[in-house]
Amino acid sequence: MSTSAQAAVAINEGVTEALNRSAAEARAQGEPEWMRERRMHAIDIYERTPMPTTRLEEWRYTDLRDKLDLASLTLGSRADVADDPSSWPEGVRAAMAEDRDAAAHVVLIDGTVVHIDLDESLAAKGVVISSLRDAVNSEDSWEEAKQYLATQAVSPEHGKFAALNAALYLDGVYVHIPRGVHLDLPIRVTRWVSTAGAAHFDRALILAEETSKVTYVDEVLSDDLDAHTFVSNAVEVIAKDGANVQFVQLQRLGRGAFAHSQQRTLAFRDATANTLNVALGATTGRLDLNAQMLGPGSSSEMLGLYFADGDQHFDCNTSQDHVSPNAYSDLLFKGALDGDSKAVFRGIIRVHPKAQQSDAYQTNRNLLLSETASADTLPNLEIAADDVKCSHGATVGQLNEDTLFYLMSRGIPQERAERLVVMGFLGEIFSKLSLGGVVEKVTREIEQKLAEV
Amino acid sequence: MPQNETVQELGLDEYKYGFVDKEQHVFRTQPGLSEEVVRQISAHKEEPEWMLDFRLKALEIYESKPMPNWGGDLSGLQDTLDEIYFYVRPQDKMEHSWDDVPDNIKDTFEKLGIPEAEQKVLAGVGAQYESEMVYHSLKQEWDEKGVIFDSIEDGLKKHPELFKKYFGTVIPTADNKFSAMNSAVWSGGSFVYIPPGVELDTPLQAYFRVNQELMGQFERTLIIAGEGSRAHYVEGCTAPAYSTDSFHSGVIEIVVEKNAHFRYTTIQNWSHNMYNLVTQRSIVHENATMEWLDGNLGSKLTMKYPSCYLVGEGAHGNILSIAYSGDGQHQDTGGKIIHAAPNTTSSIVSKSISKGTGRSSYRGLLQVHDGARNAKSNVECDALLIDETAKTDTYPYIEIDEKSAHIGHEATVSKVGDEQLFYLMSRGMSEEEAMALIVRGFIEPIAKELPLEYAVELNRLIELEMEGSVG
Repeated sequence: MSTSAQAAVAINEGVTEALNRSAAEARAQGEPEWMRERRMHAIDIYERTPMPTTRLEEWRYTDLRDKLDLASLTLGSRADVADDPSSWPEGVRAAMAEDRDAAAHVVLIDGTVVHIDLDESLAAKGVVISSLRDAVNSEDSWEEAKQYLATQAVSPEHGKFAALNAALYLDGVYVHIPRGVHLDLPIRVTRWVSTAGAAHFDRALILAEETSKVTYVDEVLSDDLDAHTFVSNAVEVIAKDGANVQFVQLQRLGRGAFAHSQQRTLAFRDATANTLNVALGATTGRLDLNAQMLGPGSSSEMLGLYFADGDQHFDCNTSQDHVSPNAYSDLLFKGALDGDSKAVFRGIIRVHPKAQQSDAYQTNRNLLLSETASADTLPNLEIAADDVKCSHGATVGQLNEDTLFYLMSRGIPQERAERLVVMGFLGEIFSKLSLGGVVEKVTREIEQKLAEV
Repeated sequence: MPQNETVQELGLDEYKYGFVDKEQHVFRTQPGLSEEVVRQISAHKEEPEWMLDFRLKALEIYESKPMPNWGGDLSGLQDTLDEIYFYVRPQDKMEHSWDDVPDNIKDTFEKLGIPEAEQKVLAGVGAQYESEMVYHSLKQEWDEKGVIFDSIEDGLKKHPELFKKYFGTVIPTADNKFSAMNSAVWSGGSFVYIPPGVELDTPLQAYFRVNQELMGQFERTLIIAGEGSRAHYVEGCTAPAYSTDSFHSGVIEIVVEKNAHFRYTTIQNWSHNMYNLVTQRSIVHENATMEWLDGNLGSKLTMKYPSCYLVGEGAHGNILSIAYSGDGQHQDTGGKIIHAAPNTTSSIVSKSISKGTGRSSYRGLLQVHDGARNAKSNVECDALLIDETAKTDTYPYIEIDEKSAHIGHEATVSKVGDEQLFYLMSRGMSEEEAMALIVRGFIEPIAKELPLEYAVELNRLIELEMEGSVG
């Protein structure tokens, strides 16, 4: 593994009373030996990796000393909640009530899977949706879980927090779509956080075999939290030859949360791995998203939308790796910023040597709605092949005065005109997405934020 | 013998200005950098006490700062720094007439085309040979207008108050490791003062040349463009090729007063073993305009980001940057614009060409401070890749703290299109000619901003570099 000689000494930054080696040992109780080894390997890396500082390019605009207090956190433990909607928090039922048709539902509370239902006809075709814990522990273990969990996509080598999640994850969702099977309706996952003051770790592993097709909509939410809470999530998408995976994450956590999601998509020959990340909630949101174009003809469309207000701080760190020739990736992140909020976008397109005929695009657009909001954007390119089409763009601006004036000249009051322009700006993202339920939820939430202005 | 002939015939990557003059110097320091060296430099220049203190303090800061871990590969730099001479003084007195310039130096200038430039009655030619100005002429009319165009040393001696008022104010010693180094050992460079309201039609020109092996060059230029003045300063650099790495670290400070318009043009063609780490910055006051035109063709590694601090309302900053990276070269260049006042505007246009194993990186910073209302800025970067082994990067940092800002950034990367080549070749051009024409077209928006002789030189240099690029 990539533990170099100089990193071999444990420096133990971020090792706390709750987040440490014995916690990883405890998590491994009752798990197969390979899983225990994987957790120990991860905690090794965590102990040896320094806490990221703003001296690191990837953390340049987010100072963790102000944003994350690991020492204050307890370790989230298994929620003792029955598989019965009446015993779930109201917020979970409300979120699910708005979800339209689904191929499957999964509910997690504090990182523990408490409910799974799957369309029987799909189960008959071999589709597997289970808790990650069951996938790991089952006797006739799903070999694929062992092969892919925290190894090829989001492995501990991908950073301090990837290592911490791999060492301490409690549970998560495992999805396996057999070869050629298409899911016409999305899998809908609702993750609820109720214990404040804790660190919660969960994961998702989505494995789509050759030419299969699946959409996965993940919603994470909570009420406002009265203590600093860390919500860590890792998402691994493996799209084998010709497979088509669409992953959507909707972050609506309450204030008080530090939401971290580390996502990595692997797209093999002719595969498609698309993502949409919407950030609305939490006090601090950090997304690490990497798309790997590993096979010729692979593609990834990466959409992002954020609306920050108050003292919210959103940091999106994205990368597009063109490893194989003839691949396509297109990233569009748009955000509006109000109050004292701040958005950070750092993206990079890497076209590796020999990845000829790569098409790669990257755009970040920001709308500043208040005097005190700010945006830092850093769209990077690193190109090491000559026959490529690459471009990137970034803009930061305020509402277009002419558009506002036009609307107001038509008798629309200023406040409403402003809302229309903001929705129009963000609407470009919705227009690329036709998922029932998601657009309505996001639209309503943004309308609410705008109304509070 | 046949082997040698073949190599000579090819001559593709031979450095065109790789001729060497016999060294002829009066004084030089020990190799490497130390307090002793700094004291010697200051003593030799007969500087006032405050300048010696300034240098010694800078040395302390230099030693306390770590080597940058970003940009280009600086891992071999320390070895180079331990070997080079930080100060070499070629001759004792300043020359004012062409006839007084020593023959071997004249010979060097001749190879660079300076006499022709002189024949065309090009304004003043301040040519820097090694570390100090050895040749300096100023048109009489400029003297009459009160324009000062001196070596930096004479600026300190002859205009101490003006000098002290501005020196080190645009680029503080502690700005970065290499500005600190320059502040400790600076030698040579220009001191320019344009009085208020004075407009100069012909550019001020300085030709820089590093000649002695293992010699670092630390030129320091200070330019003050007075209120409502208008001028253009052109700096070109070439250096002979040597087998060991050499080093250049300049500091250029420019103050553009209210309503003034100043343009600074550099065409850098250092030999391919040169580390070129330069800090260039301007402070731009109310309704003034600063333009940087920055061409980087030579050196092994260049890290240079000309900057405009727009501190007065309505100030405008403009950066045009062109980079050419051939085999083994890395041009890490770009620009910085800081909008610190309302209604300021700026634009950065960067074009790069990478060939062979060359690597061109654009690195830029665009900052809009809170309260800099209605700041507008646009950044465009285009990269052209000629071989599959060439690399290009774009790192545009954009930091916006002001709602009313309008900021845009765009970048594209492309290769020379087969269709374009095919079309030109179908019109009877050779592949090489076609390629050169396409490249010329690519850099044209920048070349057309140059004075004619420089545009011609730029085109010629790129053509020379492009030779043998097809196949």
